[in-house]
Amino acid sequence: MSSAQPDARQIQLMTNNCLQCHTYAETGAPILGDTDQWQAIAAQGEETILKNVVEGIRGMPPLGYCSACSEEDFRVLIRFFANLPAPSDLTSKGEQ
Amino acid sequence: MERRKFIQGSLALGASAAFGSITGCINKGDEPQAPITFEPGQPTPWINWAGNHSCIPSTRLAPSSEDELVGALKSAQGVVRAVGASHSFSPVVPTDDTLIATDLLSGLVSHDPDTLQATIMAGTRMHDMGPILNSIGQAVPNMPDMDYPSIGGAVANSVHATGDQFGSMSSYVTGFKLATVTGELLECNADKNPQIFQAGRTSVGALGIMSELTLQNQASYQLTETNAIENLEDVLATIDERRKAHRHFEFFPIPYASVCITVTTDIAKPGDSNMGEDDPQAVNSLRQVFDSVSWVPVIGEGLYDKILTTALGSEAETVRTGPSYKVFPHVRVVRFREMEYTVPADAGPACIREILDTVKTKKLPMSFPMEYRYVKADDIWLSMFEGQEGCSISIHQYGDLDYKAVFAEIEPIFWKYSGRPHWGKIHTLDAKRLAQLYPRHWQDFQQVRKELDPQGRLMNQHLQHIFEA
Repeated sequence: MSSAQPDARQIQLMTNNCLQCHTYAETGAPILGDTDQWQAIAAQGEETILKNVVEGIRGMPPLGYCSACSEEDFRVLIRFFANLPAPSDLTSKGEQ
Repeated sequence: MERRKFIQGSLALGASAAFGSITGCINKGDEPQAPITFEPGQPTPWINWAGNHSCIPSTRLAPSSEDELVGALKSAQGVVRAVGASHSFSPVVPTDDTLIATDLLSGLVSHDPDTLQATIMAGTRMHDMGPILNSIGQAVPNMPDMDYPSIGGAVANSVHATGDQFGSMSSYVTGFKLATVTGELLECNADKNPQIFQAGRTSVGALGIMSELTLQNQASYQLTETNAIENLEDVLATIDERRKAHRHFEFFPIPYASVCITVTTDIAKPGDSNMGEDDPQAVNSLRQVFDSVSWVPVIGEGLYDKILTTALGSEAETVRTGPSYKVFPHVRVVRFREMEYTVPADAGPACIREILDTVKTKKLPMSFPMEYRYVKADDIWLSMFEGQEGCSISIHQYGDLDYKAVFAEIEPIFWKYSGRPHWGKIHTLDAKRLAQLYPRHWQDFQQVRKELDPQGRLMNQHLQHIFEA
């Protein structure tokens, strides 16, 4: 399963915002690349994760600090972190 | 033993054994704390870190260059506001019209190894600023105890740390470029546009949007921070000696407790090493103990203090050492709301005593530690430290509890001591009251503001409240 790849702008948004916590274990945030941690989150589905990202949940602030992020930016970054498929991947595999 | 585990152990063995059950409102920690809900497919709202302010702007822009910033600001419709990391507790950001995010205006522009000055883009998060400056052999002389905000936002609100010899982040700015609503990009420093320079180093974003700023740094350095649990009265009795003896000193009074947490930071010495661990969830543990015993009639306060004194008093010191940009900041994952006023430095001890006494006398439901810091005087027109050395006292309430009632009980104490509110934190003062706190330069600032933004396009409801009579 392939996840969506962020473009250069989205990578900068991720670097400036998401990675402040998602690369530091002491924050309690799931760490980028830790497959076990992200599997449980991915199981919630993209829509639930998106809602939690925008509203904030537990230690995660609303919007994950990213006021520049659009809904599409959030979706791409969620798929990247959680290794979720892009809709185009599902369509091409006849899963939608 | 980790402090949190010890407190939790004390809770289990002490409070629940003595009273048979645990009551109170314990934060489950899994409840979304946003003031509004979001449904995928609907317009994405803006919500601040503390979750006490939000808006749904009709236009959201994120310029990635100075040209784009100038163009965005000039053509923006309606009330236009800038946003960095959304860490302000006061409603400086909300607008229903145009919101300009500075996320993509980040990174190093230039630096001078001789003067130890560096120019960085204003949207750079302080979290990234440390490593960037370290890579060129520089470091800011002081930094707040959390590094999530953007440097532009920090300067706009005079964000500060602690240390008798150190000013706010604004005080290290030697120049900046300011994009205005009229489509100009102004270079501002002590020689060029000096009036705008003095107004812009603490402007609450009322003059325009900074694209970049230059900081007066020093050579990279190492720090050692020691956290300890001490008797509150002992600390207050020796506060002047401590603030003079150490590069940085602050303490966290704990409501209803006779102990407090002290944080002493100095240049690292050979052989300094880390000891213990920082615990980002410690305040939730504190709350759990407070909630468990505070309901007990009459003896609740005493029991709480006894548990804390026993639990915390036995803890060894926690020591953190390393590069300054790694030692200054701490992880902040527990949501809270904050009010902060800066009173004249000499009034600090009396002010904090009166606050703590008021909390006990009025039995205010507060367990989140307060924060007590000193900051050097500066000459920035609307800085809380303008013309006087300041003692900054911060009051916090957990993010899922009502803060208005308890803050309303404490805010008048700050007024009594001629306190100036932090621009980015919760307060209720309006323009008329604020003008009285800045008698030297209030009108100077308003004149510059009206020249740069004659139509008030940067004035949201809150800025109208604090700047327009």
